[in-house]
Amino acid sequence: MDGITEILNETWKFIVLFLNDNIPLIVGSVKAVVIAVAIMSVVPLLVWLERRLMGRFQVRLGPNRVGPFGLGQPLADTVKLLFKESIVQSSADKFLFHLAPAIVVFTAIVGFAVIPFGAPFEVFGQTIEMWGANVNSGILFVFAISGMGIYGMVLAGLASNNKYSLMGGLRSSAQMISYELTLGLSALSIIVLTGSLNLVDMVKAQETIPFILVQPLAFLLFYIAGVAETNRAPFDLPEAEQELVAGFHTEYTGMKFAMFFMGEYINMVTMSALVTLLFLGGWNAYGLPVWPIVAFALKVGFLLCVFIWLRSTFPRIRYDRLMTFGWKVLLPLCLLNLLITGIWKVI
Amino acid sequence: MEIATLFDFALDTVIFVVGVTAVLASLGVILCSSPIYSALYLIGHMICLALLFLLYNAEFLAVVQIIVYAGAVMILFLFIIALLGGKKEVQENTFHRAMAFGFVFILLGELYLSATVGPTQQIRGEIPAELFGTAKAIGLELFSKHIVAFELASGLLLVAAVGVICLAKFSFVPLRRRAR
Repeated sequence: MDGITEILNETWKFIVLFLNDNIPLIVGSVKAVVIAVAIMSVVPLLVWLERRLMGRFQVRLGPNRVGPFGLGQPLADTVKLLFKESIVQSSADKFLFHLAPAIVVFTAIVGFAVIPFGAPFEVFGQTIEMWGANVNSGILFVFAISGMGIYGMVLAGLASNNKYSLMGGLRSSAQMISYELTLGLSALSIIVLTGSLNLVDMVKAQETIPFILVQPLAFLLFYIAGVAETNRAPFDLPEAEQELVAGFHTEYTGMKFAMFFMGEYINMVTMSALVTLLFLGGWNAYGLPVWPIVAFALKVGFLLCVFIWLRSTFPRIRYDRLMTFGWKVLLPLCLLNLLITGIWKVI
Repeated sequence: MEIATLFDFALDTVIFVVGVTAVLASLGVILCSSPIYSALYLIGHMICLALLFLLYNAEFLAVVQIIVYAGAVMILFLFIIALLGGKKEVQENTFHRAMAFGFVFILLGELYLSATVGPTQQIRGEIPAELFGTAKAIGLELFSKHIVAFELASGLLLVAAVGVICLAKFSFVPLRRRAR
């Protein structure tokens, strides 16, 4: 008996010692869980917001039957999608078919991990930083992870064994590679201005004025490329309903179908957060009497509404026009902007 | 057990696991008969390499590895496979088998060589410790010491790009534009 109690005591001591020595580890784990859960529960709300706003933009009511303001609608939709039968057609590549939506959601959530959303504060003698991880090359990390997200769509197209899916997958890969260049180059002008790849440093550099006033062209280019990168209308060519049924997710049903949408909406939030951090001053409130995190959330919310606004305003552009626009208009403008920024910085 | 040694042990274990995964993935590239899966194994291998860079504190290198190789190069591979239709290859050629056996023997020979040469050593430069692995250190190194080689390499890549466009594009008369 004594032996066992001794071992238990030793183990308990070890655990206490371990926890005392590794408070950052615990704080980090808690933050990771909180961020992941928060970002996933934003998705149904965003779907509701999109449907309501789209309804208003198109002079109709939108969902308003389930609960107050139709707020129960996302809940009902989620339950419906969870209980739907999951169909995998026999000619599909089973493994890749299941892997593709997982990649989309995984990369979307991981991409948000490096987004800082508030100034650090102190609790119980511990400085709590409002970000999942402060990576030194944070902006590059976001681009790298969003680049991995393309695989989800391409693999969905490849694995479905369906012409429309394949076309959608090909379109998404070509489109996202093309617009990633514009995205990276317009962010590069901000990197040149701040001299850092770190997102927190970028926000700190905007304490007096946001970079949208210094770099309006870069902001415009970044936002356009961001809309294209998240496959939102008017750049939703990979899932163009009139041409491709539903593009790369034609064959998906139930929760796997919903996972593609989850990925898309999380990417929307990440992209809005990135625009806020790079151009709108992050959590700097510029004199408004709100908490930093509220200022950040308000800016991101506004940008999300602009995403929805764009969708209900513009028609989808033709595929060859999309490529021409990306390579012959946006990219030269980006390079020109970068050149001017570089010259201005050196002088 | 001391906590510090426990952490070192955990780090070593992680590095070992990632390394073994990288080797297994690269074996998958050459042993898999379906081109899509081969490409996927290659992507897995590259992600493992990026993780190894990350575990050795070369953060910038890891991110660039993912952006350039896993993100841009491999997506083009998949693109081509999707366009050509990835059919499984049927193995029948005995010559290829002989080649494979030769390859295995060469591999073993190389293993023997690397075992006899001894352990590898870290390269020690004059980069300060706090800059190690950051974009700044790499930029300082590339644009001061190796500027000529760097610019020459970029010129070479430009020549290759222009050459590819010449080969692919300008051999036929462009089609008449459709009415707008």
